[in-house]
Amino acid sequence: MSVGFRAVQWNRDKLVYDGILVAAVALYIAGFGVVAWRIEPPKNLPEEIDLWIRATGTCAFLMLTAILGIGPLARLDRRFLALLYNRRHFGVLAFLVAAAHFALLLDWYVAQNALPNLGAELTRWPDYGKFIGFPFKALGLAALLILFLLAATSHDFWLMFLTPRVWKFLHMGLYAAYGLVVMHVALGHVQDDRTPWIPIMLAAGFGTVAALHLVAGWRERKADRAVGQATGWLTVGPLSSIPDKGARIVAAPRGERIAVFRDGNQVGAVTNLCAHQNGPLGEGRIVDGCITCPWHGYQYRLADGCAPPPFTEKLVTHRIRVAHGIVEVDPVPLPPGTPAAIMVA
Amino acid sequence: MTRRHRSLHRVVWPILALVVATGFVLALWLRPPPEPGQVRAIPRAAPMEQAA
Repeated sequence: MSVGFRAVQWNRDKLVYDGILVAAVALYIAGFGVVAWRIEPPKNLPEEIDLWIRATGTCAFLMLTAILGIGPLARLDRRFLALLYNRRHFGVLAFLVAAAHFALLLDWYVAQNALPNLGAELTRWPDYGKFIGFPFKALGLAALLILFLLAATSHDFWLMFLTPRVWKFLHMGLYAAYGLVVMHVALGHVQDDRTPWIPIMLAAGFGTVAALHLVAGWRERKADRAVGQATGWLTVGPLSSIPDKGARIVAAPRGERIAVFRDGNQVGAVTNLCAHQNGPLGEGRIVDGCITCPWHGYQYRLADGCAPPPFTEKLVTHRIRVAHGIVEVDPVPLPPGTPAAIMVA
Repeated sequence: MTRRHRSLHRVVWPILALVVATGFVLALWLRPPPEPGQVRAIPRAAPMEQAA
């Protein structure tokens, strides 16, 4: 949350997160270099550059695999929410490693005084009609351009400018970039390298990410269908079924989910979508009297869905009532910031 | 995530998984046999042509 522009809102958690990331990347690339050098020492400069191309390429692939795994893992197990918190910095670092991979490729051509050959490879148009022999570097270049676009628009300024809905759809481009990277390696390196390690890495990485997304999607589908075609007030359950300083999430038919929170004797309902990135508010907690998003810590008052001053975000709220000891919520949304919480005995 | 975003996810991932898995398997299946006497496990990044 911020009331003014800051390039990056650093805090201790982000510094630790980024420090671990940078250290892990440096360690991986250095380790890859040392091991590969010992197994097969480069005989000349192009072979040496080739070694670092492979180090940065595999590193970028593994980073993308981890980044794409964090989302569904956090949906399946709350312990992974800590990784989600600063995922955008992870993504920007992955772009930088991929850009280094590309820069090394250019260096590889330059070292042999053969840079025009890259242009010739990319513009040999008949090859685009082949499967084996497809200009695989074009796939890598397309993935790099997508990663650049995502890194360039990762800042909260673009999130606010584009709106969370458009921004999230734009950043789903990462899925396409990941598929392009897999095919870039499958149609490039894998065609010449007969060792099994790279195919295993590709299959395990992509298979794991795809399986996680499919499982998480299947679970979400079940949750969306929980209420079915119910109309009118929706049943939440007995008051005791709502954890104190926590929430129960109700799926409104054809609408967005509703988070019904309890803070002692106060019960209130807000949309389950955080105003920042549409994070699942109902999976958060009430901290310091405010609903706190589990993704990035954005806060809202339970009484009216407004962020505490000086912040200005407002949430859609819903009316609440208790009938025969059962809490019910009206699925019709009230204007953002409308007081709707009630006190119960 | 919005309901529409979740729905899109559920459509995109099965398609992406199918397309990439098929492409990957075909790339392995159709790759040319190794050249006889090839000793270098990891080749250069691309076949070179003489620069103009």
